[in-house]
Amino acid sequence: MLRIRILESDEIFEEQGRQRKMVLYILQQLVNALSYGSILGLLAVGYTMIYGILGLINFAHGEIFMIGAFSCYLFATVLNIPWVIAALLAIITSTISGLLLERFIYRPCIRRGGSVLTIFIISFAASILIRYLFMMFFTDTRRAFPIPAFFEKIYFVGGIVIGLRDILIFATTVVIMLIISYFVKYSKLGIAMRAVSYDKRTASFMGVNSTRIIKVVFMIGSMLAGISGLEYGLSFGIVNPSMGFNPGLTGFIAAVLGGIGNVPGAMIGGFIVGIGEILFVAILPAIYSPLRPLFIWILLFLILFLKPTGLFRPNVKFEGGWEE
Amino acid sequence: MLLSIENVTTGYEKAQVLKKVNISLEKGEIVALIGANGAGKTTSLRCITGIIKPWEGTIKFNNQKIDALESYEIVSLGISYCPEGRDIFANLSVYENLKMGGYLIKDRREFKSNLNRIYELFPRLQERCNQIAGSLSGGEQQMLAIGRAFMLKPSVLLLDEPSLGLAPILVESIFKVIQQINSSGTSILLVEQNVSLALELAERAYVLEKGEIKLSGESKDLRESEYVKNSYLGIR
Repeated sequence: MLRIRILESDEIFEEQGRQRKMVLYILQQLVNALSYGSILGLLAVGYTMIYGILGLINFAHGEIFMIGAFSCYLFATVLNIPWVIAALLAIITSTISGLLLERFIYRPCIRRGGSVLTIFIISFAASILIRYLFMMFFTDTRRAFPIPAFFEKIYFVGGIVIGLRDILIFATTVVIMLIISYFVKYSKLGIAMRAVSYDKRTASFMGVNSTRIIKVVFMIGSMLAGISGLEYGLSFGIVNPSMGFNPGLTGFIAAVLGGIGNVPGAMIGGFIVGIGEILFVAILPAIYSPLRPLFIWILLFLILFLKPTGLFRPNVKFEGGWEE
Repeated sequence: MLLSIENVTTGYEKAQVLKKVNISLEKGEIVALIGANGAGKTTSLRCITGIIKPWEGTIKFNNQKIDALESYEIVSLGISYCPEGRDIFANLSVYENLKMGGYLIKDRREFKSNLNRIYELFPRLQERCNQIAGSLSGGEQQMLAIGRAFMLKPSVLLLDEPSLGLAPILVESIFKVIQQINSSGTSILLVEQNVSLALELAERAYVLEKGEIKLSGESKDLRESEYVKNSYLGIR
């Protein structure tokens, strides 16, 4: 027998209200996740480009990210430089740090024929070295990242709070990603980057100086990491010398998810991981929120287990030939 | 003399491959290097491209020593190399591969005209210009590799085993194109396992054995030589 339950009118309101609250909550979390996804996307692009071209996981990439954010704090708060100039200087600082890293750590090691394992360990060492140097000089206390008042503006859209900074972070990231994608897909240098990623020696037969291409890749990757660091500072408002570790790892996993070496893939991977991580925490009851890092590790496990080449076509030559 | 390898001894790490090899190439010539597997044919070509440095001896191009240069610098002098086993960029499209072939061309019009020339030589490449190169058939990949190496209109083209793994009919058409490339003014140094074909195409040839030049001379003389007949042409 069919039983129809007739809801009292205030009960209906209550039910609707609950649903509405839930939908708003999820939407709000999605909005929050967009800036986090942007941060990870920019980081992942650097990882994927450097891995693609050198076959090395640049673990110090997270530290370049930290240098971007932390140097902006130093310039703006300690040295009292106007924010916009401080931010530009911070991007330049992180770019230069990346180039120095390539020139003085990776290049000599690769020249001497360092094996994959050697380079892997060197990259870890570089990461730890930079992090602890900063901790030694500045201590690891958390500092307030300088956020210009202009960014603090907040909009209410149908019950959702959207900060101007979230919009700006997302918009900047999308613009940068479009430019980078276009550059990698159509420019001669971009094609050369993919060619060098695939096969350095054959690329040299075309007259491509791969050392130069590698420099360009480190430059772009580190610049993006710096911008990502600034976005992190703006979004979370806190910087400290060890801040690069977690986003660094997460960004790397986003790059794996997107198919290593695939630049647009890394961007999409960044958004998927960022949104996934935020929603993972948002949907679980509050007491489980310390489980947040678990999400990326489960994800990494699933990728490696189900589709180790990532969601999109990777851009590197794998052992045993290349498949589409 | 356009290109000359003079008294070159070299190898990989400790394993010596070439022993005092002398090879020369004049303008407009097709010269073949023939010999068994492991005789040092590919090593000779690699030595010219600069990925292997000579231990002793020199390599000269237009009377300029080039053996100390990096491979990417040697390409810019006008020596292109089409590697063994094609080595196309399988992750790039056919067009992007050719674009890489013309990496050193600054002028857009020159690039266009060279590209069109390749498309004329290999119409198949134009049909597939947007296809990912890794999905091409073996023959098409070989065409792409040759086309890519010819994009710069080099004065010397080093071809390593262009017939490797191809059906006889394809080999014939690829050799025709090699002749066309030669007649447009590019000298060719060819490494080939298929000795009878190589001797047909080339004006001169060197026979390499265990890293040394065993014989050299005009192709027609080599074809008649008892040694070549017995060892490579299988005529008794």
